[in-house]
Amino acid sequence: METLLQQVINGLSLGSVYALIAVGYSLVYSILLFSNFAHGGFLVIGGYICYYTLAAVGNNIWVASLLALLGAGVSAVVVERVAYKPIRERTNVTLYLLIASMGMSIVIENIFVVTVGGRFRALPPVIPTNPVNVFGVATTSAFDILSLVMAIVFLSGLQLFLSKTKWGLAIRAASYDLRTAGLMGVNVNKLISIVFFVAGLLAAVGGIFLSVRYTLYPQLGLITIKAFVAAVIGGLGSLPGAVVGSLILGLAEMLTAGFISSQMRDIVVFGLLVLTLLWRPTGLFGKHVAEKI
Amino acid sequence: MRKISVLALLAVFVVTGFAAGAMAEDVIKVGYLAALTGDWAAYGQTELNAAKLAVAEINAKGGVLGKQIQLFPYDFRTRPEDAVNAFRRMAENDKVVAVVGANGSGINIATAPLANRYGIPQIGTVSTNLLVTVNDQGELNPFMFRTCFTDPYQGQLIAAFTAKELKKNTAAVLYDVGSDYAQGLREFFMKYYEEYGGKVVADQGFRAGTDVDFRAQLTTIRDSKAEVLVLPNMGKEMALIMKQARELGMNDIIFVGGDGYGEFMWEIAGDAMENSYWINHVAPEDPAMADFFANYKKTYNDECKEFVNGILAYDSIYWLADAIERAGKVDSTAIRDALRNTKNLQLHHALMSIDPETHNPMDKTGVVLVAKDGRAQFYAKIQP
Repeated sequence: METLLQQVINGLSLGSVYALIAVGYSLVYSILLFSNFAHGGFLVIGGYICYYTLAAVGNNIWVASLLALLGAGVSAVVVERVAYKPIRERTNVTLYLLIASMGMSIVIENIFVVTVGGRFRALPPVIPTNPVNVFGVATTSAFDILSLVMAIVFLSGLQLFLSKTKWGLAIRAASYDLRTAGLMGVNVNKLISIVFFVAGLLAAVGGIFLSVRYTLYPQLGLITIKAFVAAVIGGLGSLPGAVVGSLILGLAEMLTAGFISSQMRDIVVFGLLVLTLLWRPTGLFGKHVAEKI
Repeated sequence: MRKISVLALLAVFVVTGFAAGAMAEDVIKVGYLAALTGDWAAYGQTELNAAKLAVAEINAKGGVLGKQIQLFPYDFRTRPEDAVNAFRRMAENDKVVAVVGANGSGINIATAPLANRYGIPQIGTVSTNLLVTVNDQGELNPFMFRTCFTDPYQGQLIAAFTAKELKKNTAAVLYDVGSDYAQGLREFFMKYYEEYGGKVVADQGFRAGTDVDFRAQLTTIRDSKAEVLVLPNMGKEMALIMKQARELGMNDIIFVGGDGYGEFMWEIAGDAMENSYWINHVAPEDPAMADFFANYKKTYNDECKEFVNGILAYDSIYWLADAIERAGKVDSTAIRDALRNTKNLQLHHALMSIDPETHNPMDKTGVVLVAKDGRAQFYAKIQP
């Protein structure tokens, strides 16, 4: 029982970081109907900005995080302007956007390989990682609790932004029909920029937590494959779906590794994806039945 | 008159020619295969420097069998094909009697057929793979040797250290399922640990390169009540594992690893590294190696950073010199036999005995490093 609880806590903390990333995938998908594979790159950009700011300003995590969030958000907007805007203005076939995003993810990864090198970097211990006892039955690190809290804060913030603000309303409208939203007077380019900024910002939050926990390196973005799987399980385009899918995935990974076999972990994760697609091709909360790539 | 002078000249030439020939017989030609450029350049340059140091010391004391050792270094540029060409030149042009190097199993596996064909013994320095001295059909490569211990033996040393030195009887293993090296170490650790009375209570795997979160495995290990966690891997995953274990409140479990220890792990794991143990070939603080490090620094005005390579290259030359002495003549086959029959030879870093069946060092002493105060320190020498 204690073990089960421990593994559940492990799973929730892993799932919460997946959720921050998966939401970014879903957000972009809901507007432009393509999976932005450069998303992992924004996460790496956020991580490196945080790393170098910490080195420059002397371990002030607040300043470093703020810059990392803004930096990753702005780079997401720039990537959209440079790589996606010219394509979406010429064609409405989303496959080209998908291919462009794969290209961008390779470009971003290699920019870091060339400029800062491929070696692993450890962030200074700015976030406490000491063990914390949970109700006397399980142990987790302060870091896990913090990452769970941060994920809740940012996801609630996103929910508020989408439901209470004018731009949030516009985004929700655009997620039903981008073209009609444009015809109703919504500035589509500005709206898409905002969506990318928010996605990049959330990716940076995930990036900071991932790089503190697992070290920082140019290929860290590959970890988003799991987050993408989570987004698909939950239903691409659906934000609650992304969160639920992430938690399911985090739990499935931890429980498999803990109770079945640690070697089976990835088989179960991707098996879950296949089963979901067979049973509900649109994912648990999916709305669109359109192409899902 | 003229005829006589020509004859005399000829005679002089012949005599000097003989003299030169006789002079050549007074040196013992030894080839050295080192990676002086390419990926392993840092290791190769250290090796060659250390080998030159050993040769200079031996020659200063009068050489071997009254002859001076002459080193013929060749750069193999970290490429097996260059190593093969270099070996050919050493055998055909330079007529070396033995070759020392290289510092990698793959290179020595590539040169093994040449060593066998030319009948020239070759000593690998840090070539730990079993296939260096024995081919994949299990037949002995009669001219191949190594100074380091093998991967399976390292697993045995980890078991011996855990069971006999630490006196801990429950251990868990967390190994990289995708690595031959880690699998070999794990297999032999488990085999010998049970023999020494220990019990492996958890056997968990991960995939290096893709897995970064080990809390699920660590939770299982924690529940198994293992006293020791054995990490028979290479790379940064071990640092992440140690860090995550301490975060899960596993404060008492002792980490034991193999020669995968790296300085960079401190940066990732931080304090979690403290009091972990690492089995290695040699240690920088080994009191028996102090002279070597001092001489190295004096001669090259540089620290011997790649100390495993430096020490093993240095002692490989001493081992070869001892074998030539025992062979009693400068002949490749006789030297091979002497290398093969090495028994209880005191080298600087260890006591050396060779198993004639496999050409691997037998019961060689390993070194235990303990991570303390932010660096690896010499802890003890061990034997199974």
